[in-house]
Amino acid sequence: MLRQPQSWAPGLFFPLLLAAVYSSQFSKAVDIVGFPFQDVSFLDFVLPACVIQGVLFGSTNSASDLAADIENSFMDRLLVSPVSRASILLARLASAFMYGVVQAGILITIFLIFGANIAGGFPSIISIVLIAALLAVSIGSFGIAIALRTGSQEVVQSTFPLIFVAIFVSSAFFPVQLMEGWYGSIAQKNPLTWIIDPTRRMAIVGFSWKDLGQSLGIISAIASLGIGISIWQLRRRLVSAQ
Amino acid sequence: MSYKNAADASSVAVVYAGILRGFSRMRRLPSLMIPSILMPVFFVIAFSGSFASIVELDGYETDKAVNWMTAWAVMQGAAFSGMGAGGLAATDLENGFFDRLRVAPIRPMAIIGGLVGYCVCRALIPITAVLIVAFGVLHAEMPGGVLGFVMVYLSGIGMAAVMGLFVLGIVFTFRTLKSLAIGQIFMFSAMFLSVGQAPIQAIDGWLHSVAAINPVTNVIRMCRQGFLGEVTWSMTQPGLIALAGMVVGTSIWARIRYKKVDI
Repeated sequence: MLRQPQSWAPGLFFPLLLAAVYSSQFSKAVDIVGFPFQDVSFLDFVLPACVIQGVLFGSTNSASDLAADIENSFMDRLLVSPVSRASILLARLASAFMYGVVQAGILITIFLIFGANIAGGFPSIISIVLIAALLAVSIGSFGIAIALRTGSQEVVQSTFPLIFVAIFVSSAFFPVQLMEGWYGSIAQKNPLTWIIDPTRRMAIVGFSWKDLGQSLGIISAIASLGIGISIWQLRRRLVSAQ
Repeated sequence: MSYKNAADASSVAVVYAGILRGFSRMRRLPSLMIPSILMPVFFVIAFSGSFASIVELDGYETDKAVNWMTAWAVMQGAAFSGMGAGGLAATDLENGFFDRLRVAPIRPMAIIGGLVGYCVCRALIPITAVLIVAFGVLHAEMPGGVLGFVMVYLSGIGMAAVMGLFVLGIVFTFRTLKSLAIGQIFMFSAMFLSVGQAPIQAIDGWLHSVAAINPVTNVIRMCRQGFLGEVTWSMTQPGLIALAGMVVGTSIWARIRYKKVDI
């Protein structure tokens, strides 16, 4: 991270730019009939989404680093060294988690400095950081699976637009109740909506074990699938390396 | 390089060759075009869908979000295409081909003109793609008629030229493909700090002041006017002045940074 600021800087810049712009452009949107929260600023509304967006933008970094290790043959050295195979995968997932914690912490701090209010206080802040970091792990695990499968940084990077699309077709920047037609239907069925909505309630309404459980439950399901595929791809690569 | 014989080759022919070369590269690497088409198309779908109810607020002058957001997506597509000039120049700089262009007896502005001409022509593709999706799928309306479409294309190719020239200045300075990221940050900032997604009446605080003086605001208004009503000179003139000013400014910037390639 220290040597390559270009890998994490966009993950801070774009969410902050969007938050700054949207909180000014759509400040009156909270007055629209049907808006799900009363007496709330748009900055408060987009806070959880921007934190999750920033962390997701950076979630492919671990996978990209792994693909780079495969491309420059560093992975081969790891495989002939006496280290646990599981640690290769765990190290990448732990890196994604730590990256998520640091980035979410920085973003929330900046939001608070600029006047955002987190109703649930410290428990909600910790919950948002935890949700963001675990989401980075779960989405990052799919990137790791792709890196193990293809061994190509370019292919891993090309998954970035999918993350972008997934965020926008969700309740991240506007409530699904105010979306129309097929777009609203897709946004309602997007798992990111099921994660963002309870996270947002914890920021705006207050801390709730139920909301935390819902977010973490969905993230766990995504992570189980992603990590499962990563383990399968690691085994496949180990077999082909023999 | 000697500038004495700079006019040996016809500048028009050089610009034309530069445009053809860009399209030849695009034909060989169609994957280069996919993001610059898909992203603006996605923008018009996503912003029209996400912010469908936002037009209930004062100032939007339309009851359909797609009428508001199409101009925004067109501008994004044009700006992405403008980045193509920087991408082509950066690739040439990295692989050494640009050095051959530099020592050829041609004017620097002809080289720059070829790169910008390529991205201006290329911008027609995403602009058309956005319009097809907006009218064919999302049922946008154009009460401004044919003149409204003329305004869309005029502002789109103008924005592509401005962004192309600006990014060329950056690429000439840093001489790497990675420097395109700086151009992207500028592009997104200029676009978002304008009336791209909301009318000036709906914008609060610091952004209201920034959007009011941002020249991109006038270009977007010029582009959008046909979607909201009749095309008028009072909406067109500020856009044309803004585009002319930005083209002159970024041309000077690109020409000055071109000298940096020698150092």
